[in-house]
Amino acid sequence: MLAYIGRRALLAVFTVWAISVLAFAIIQLPPGDYVTSYIAQMASTGSVVSEEEAETLRIQYGLGQPMYVQYLKWTGQVVQGNFGMSMEWRRPVGEVIGERLWLTVVVSVAALILTWGLALPIGIYSAVRQYSVGDYVATFIGFIGLAVPNFLLALVLLYLGFVFFNANIGGLFSPELQDAPWSAARVWDLMKHLPIPALILGLAGTAQQIRIMRANLLDELRKPYVVTARSKGLAEARVILKYPVRVALNPFASTIGYTLPYIVSGSIIVSLVLGLPTVGPLLLKALIAQDMFLAGTIVLLLGLMTVIGTLISDILLVWIDPRIRLEET
Amino acid sequence: MARPEAALDPARVPESEATAVVGDQRLFVASQWQLMWWRFRKHKLAVASAIVILGFYAVVVGADFLAYADPDLSEAQRSLMPPQRLYWFDGWRFAPHVHAVKGARDPQTFKRVYRTDPGEKVPVRLFAKGFEYHFFGLIPMNRHLIGVDADRDASKTIFLLGTDVQGRDLWSRLVYGTRISLTIGLVGVAMSLVLGVLLGGISGFYGGILDTLIQRVIEILRSIPTIPLWMGLAAALPRDWTILQIYFAITIIISLLGWTELARVVRGRFLALREEDFVVSARLVGCSQMRTIFVHMVPSFMSHIIAATTLALPAMIVSETALSFLGLGLRPPAISWGVLLQQAQNVQTVAISPWLMLPAVPVIVAVMAFNFLGDGLRDAADPYGR
Amino acid sequence: MSQRRPRTRTLRSALTLILAGALLSAVAAAGALAQGGKSSLIGKLEGPEVVTDSGKWPKAFKEAPQLAELVKAGKLPPVAERIGQDPLVIKPLKEVGKYGGVWRAGFTGPADFWNGFRCCSGPDHLMFWDYTGDKVMPNLAKGLEMQDGGRTWLLSLRRGMKWSDGKPFTADDFVFWFEDIYRNKDLVPTPSAAMAINGKQGTIEKADTYTVRYKFPEPYFMLPDVLAGSTDLAGQWNGYKGMGGFAPAHYLKQFHPKYVSAADLDKRVKDLKFDSWVRLFLNRNDWAINPDLPVLSPWKTATPINTATWTLERNPYSVFVDTAGNQLPYLDRVVLTLAENLEVLNLRAIAGEYDYASRHVDLGKLPVFLENQQKGNYKVYLDPGDYCDLIIKFNLNYDADPEIGKWFNTADFRRALSLGIDRDQINETFWLGTGTPGSVVPVDSNKYNPGPQYRKLWSTLDLKKANEMLDKIGLAKKDAEGYRLRADGKGRLRIEIMTLGGQFVQYTQISEMIREQWKKIGIDLKVQEVERSLALQRTANNEQQLAAWNNDGSEHLFTFPLHVFPYELAAVASSGPHYVRWFHSAGAQGKEPEPRMKELMEKWKKAFGVPEKERIQLGKEVWRIAAEEVYIIGVVGQGPAAMGVRVVKNGMGNIPARMYNSPDGKTPGISRPATFFWKN
Repeated sequence: MLAYIGRRALLAVFTVWAISVLAFAIIQLPPGDYVTSYIAQMASTGSVVSEEEAETLRIQYGLGQPMYVQYLKWTGQVVQGNFGMSMEWRRPVGEVIGERLWLTVVVSVAALILTWGLALPIGIYSAVRQYSVGDYVATFIGFIGLAVPNFLLALVLLYLGFVFFNANIGGLFSPELQDAPWSAARVWDLMKHLPIPALILGLAGTAQQIRIMRANLLDELRKPYVVTARSKGLAEARVILKYPVRVALNPFASTIGYTLPYIVSGSIIVSLVLGLPTVGPLLLKALIAQDMFLAGTIVLLLGLMTVIGTLISDILLVWIDPRIRLEET
Repeated sequence: MARPEAALDPARVPESEATAVVGDQRLFVASQWQLMWWRFRKHKLAVASAIVILGFYAVVVGADFLAYADPDLSEAQRSLMPPQRLYWFDGWRFAPHVHAVKGARDPQTFKRVYRTDPGEKVPVRLFAKGFEYHFFGLIPMNRHLIGVDADRDASKTIFLLGTDVQGRDLWSRLVYGTRISLTIGLVGVAMSLVLGVLLGGISGFYGGILDTLIQRVIEILRSIPTIPLWMGLAAALPRDWTILQIYFAITIIISLLGWTELARVVRGRFLALREEDFVVSARLVGCSQMRTIFVHMVPSFMSHIIAATTLALPAMIVSETALSFLGLGLRPPAISWGVLLQQAQNVQTVAISPWLMLPAVPVIVAVMAFNFLGDGLRDAADPYGR
Repeated sequence: MSQRRPRTRTLRSALTLILAGALLSAVAAAGALAQGGKSSLIGKLEGPEVVTDSGKWPKAFKEAPQLAELVKAGKLPPVAERIGQDPLVIKPLKEVGKYGGVWRAGFTGPADFWNGFRCCSGPDHLMFWDYTGDKVMPNLAKGLEMQDGGRTWLLSLRRGMKWSDGKPFTADDFVFWFEDIYRNKDLVPTPSAAMAINGKQGTIEKADTYTVRYKFPEPYFMLPDVLAGSTDLAGQWNGYKGMGGFAPAHYLKQFHPKYVSAADLDKRVKDLKFDSWVRLFLNRNDWAINPDLPVLSPWKTATPINTATWTLERNPYSVFVDTAGNQLPYLDRVVLTLAENLEVLNLRAIAGEYDYASRHVDLGKLPVFLENQQKGNYKVYLDPGDYCDLIIKFNLNYDADPEIGKWFNTADFRRALSLGIDRDQINETFWLGTGTPGSVVPVDSNKYNPGPQYRKLWSTLDLKKANEMLDKIGLAKKDAEGYRLRADGKGRLRIEIMTLGGQFVQYTQISEMIREQWKKIGIDLKVQEVERSLALQRTANNEQQLAAWNNDGSEHLFTFPLHVFPYELAAVASSGPHYVRWFHSAGAQGKEPEPRMKELMEKWKKAFGVPEKERIQLGKEVWRIAAEEVYIIGVVGQGPAAMGVRVVKNGMGNIPARMYNSPDGKTPGISRPATFFWKN
């Protein structure tokens, strides 16, 4: 068991390193660099940046050096906990992200709760009443989230919220409480703003979870012990819920690990449309501006989350399901 | 391989099911594909979806025929027209027609206001002549499903789904958009298929270091958020390519990320099948590796691959819309669902011209249909299921 | 029978009445519709005025209640002392206002500093425009006197005027800027063209405590305009790039190697996590980022632009006062909240979450704004600019394809393409009919406008003439689809236009429309939308063919020539990078332009050194050449697309019916937001 964890952990470290290289490379792919983006930005507002000033900026930001030098410098800093300076925000990257990272987690967790809240019942119902009308209807509802273009839905909900409920436009807080210190009122404010983002984000992942739940449960329902339980006279509900569902949930527990980062990545566009103060819009803007360290750090963090998540999932799976453990050894 | 006993287990099969099952004899000699088909038929939603998808591809083939207006023809005086009402009867006669429309900009509200003139009826004809096009790129034709009399121009008179901000007919644009959206994804899916089967197969069949390596690559690719990858790769493409060329390149980029799912499935199947009796016996009999793989193993999970591929298409469609939103995918003057949705992605559309959001409907229907079809195929393909 | 007749008669008269009524309302409606030109949303140009007659200045001053509290507590000197002997007196547009309240608005991120410059920096120009955008008036400086035939200018400062931390604002701050910032090659690698006349740099020296002397080797008659406009010499908002014309010496010295030991400076640089002292210095001199920076604007940054909320608070040492002696601004705070994308920002404005918004407001959403005026409790105003909203530039130096380069340099080719554009369509679709189709020249009332006939010169829709012209110059042969063939026999003539997405004007969509229109004159246009940095790269590498952009600022021809002729290399749309180099190096580098372009450039340069009357004449000739040669095609102008849609809450006072919309005027700065107040 320990050997397994050790091996996986080692592989995880390697994966993270590979991600860091890829992240850095991706940021560099578009032509130009932060300075060209900055100049263009200035130009579009009527300010002019001369060639010499551009060169000076490049030197000051260290953009003139070859790629691998910049990469090594960055990784050297990252390992020490210093993520570098965001050129666009002119603040340390850690500061720029820090405020938003846990808000991103909050939104994603809310979405996750909603996903499971919808997917589990629908999956169970779908497995038990396979091919019935109810199955089709429930599945239909579950899959709608996957099919609706969520950026359009987000805009529509924003507008409807304004028209019918005079709701704040986007964001996770009311303007008054945006920068206020934490209090019960602010937490409640956050709760009030969560439903729309959670709904849009949560619906997208429902389909996949329904499939998994249904498949797992179908597998379980075929097992002899279910037949036995039924023939022994147990009520149908108990037959299903007490054993098969709990067994079918096992793989679910292991999917928590990588579902969360999956939702975070998938929320980038919706966060932008809804104007949420999360990591998504920050990443998009950083990519466009080619703000190297900020974009690279966020991509690295997201990748890291996924790798850790997968690692946890695999370990959980092994721990919960003895059969896999035996197979490995 | 089917296990007929499971299918006929009386404790498991409800009444209706038992009678629906084909007679015992045919079941025992049916081929793999026939078994799949019978199982597939039971999944009503999947069957319905298949029909819907066939309908979509009929639109793809006949886009020129179904459109009645030139999708690029702009006219400011027709900007933002709401959908026109099609009247089926003129008095008691069956005479489909629309009313002529005149519009102007209201100086107070700055909206374009359109008034229909019930007095001026424009008859709508079936199989009318309209703008010229080449069917299949070869046969010049000018017949369209609907149109108007020769003395008028359909581009200027019929607007079944309204017009966009440049006065272009939405229905015609939607029809052409369908063509591009549903065909371009196929290339990417094909690529994903090839890569997935190849790499997944190698991984599962040979195992060992090769397997670990490929698994690591898959994990790395899955850990990186897709959007930065798209943006980076898209920005690195040469800028003087045509829009369509860029889009092909982007679908290839998407598929470079999408093969991981298929590879996982294939690898899993290979791992499971490797230990199966029939594979072992094939090797023992003296079949070469190639023969073992292609003649014996692959047919066993062909159905899984079909199912997985079908499920990859809706992901392609959704990715296309997301890419267009980000400005990376197809851009005007190309027309696709993504482009149409991107042009509807603003407050004034939601508030004042909501018909411009109609392209979302075919997207939703197509994605759902492909998903149900894929699920149905997968259920049907699984020999150990019901 | 008898009963029917009265009924018929009544019926007939009723019908007649109805018909008459319908006719009348139809006429009225037709009249209203036909009046499409001037909308009720465009009011009369008006604004507050600076009172220059010191006899009329108030003798006693009042201040905001919270400042009065601080004075009582001994934390602030009394208001008269803070303002000094020469207040900057502004007569509010409508009435003397009341203190108190917050101004809420939105911004889009750390790159949106012009948002703050425009609304809240004062403007802190030394001189400034009056509300018509035409006359130069004293602003932070009390007066400007010309001597020595224009070679020397004396700028008198206001006695007793102070920085926001209470230290005096004197000529020393000018000398510090000139000697220690402008002339420091690390901080400012390239000298500014604003400090030069005919390519020769001038100097700044101290005449006495409150007088600054500008000395130039040749007469520099344009200096007042330069000190009034948004130029490098004009104000502290420019500090982030080391410009501004003046800087708080007493504060910035601690970051400068001339005044602080190298070791101390290094330590400070490391502590604040900067890479070099230059970065640190420029960061500290940044009006939008550094809350500790002493400023002269009515509000100063309290929480910087690189956070989620950009707050500005009242400057207790503000030199601005109203005619009743109240120290301005009336509003206590300006709070700009971050909007992650433009739809969200506009929707917030529609919902009435902003008190005053004009930046980033999308003209295409005008109907939605109007629809929600009552619900949001605001009023919508339109402020059309005086410039051309949409222009198309030809890159005259394009040489990657010699044939195309040749055509770009053929005047009749450009003119024909201009005649092939249906401007009315574009105006109606994208400007909702509020713009004026026409050439590049500014509005008729602009002093440099060469004459009303130049509005339509080469700028109407004339397909017949366009086709004739193109036939005549050698592009008469067409292919099977009607597109013109190249003269060199290499197939179809294809040209490409480069556009940017996400701007105030919908360049890409408009170019699509133009593509369809140019089909009718046989020109195959490809529309290529690119991101900003790519646009820059292509123009700098001379890869751009045509580009769509806007011409805002050009109504002040001499301070904003960016898009009138090839002036700047780092531009997102260029008319010819080789010509730019030629222009700035006085012929040493680059390529010499063709005669008429050369004439235009020379006239422009000459205008800086001649008195006003001659300058106006030269300006008119510059525009005349531009309109005749069509180096740049003007499409739609004098529209409100760029910051011209204004949304103001109903309770705000001193709001003009129409503002002068100009980057030089830092609109809304030109209408003195310091005089805005809450009426209740």
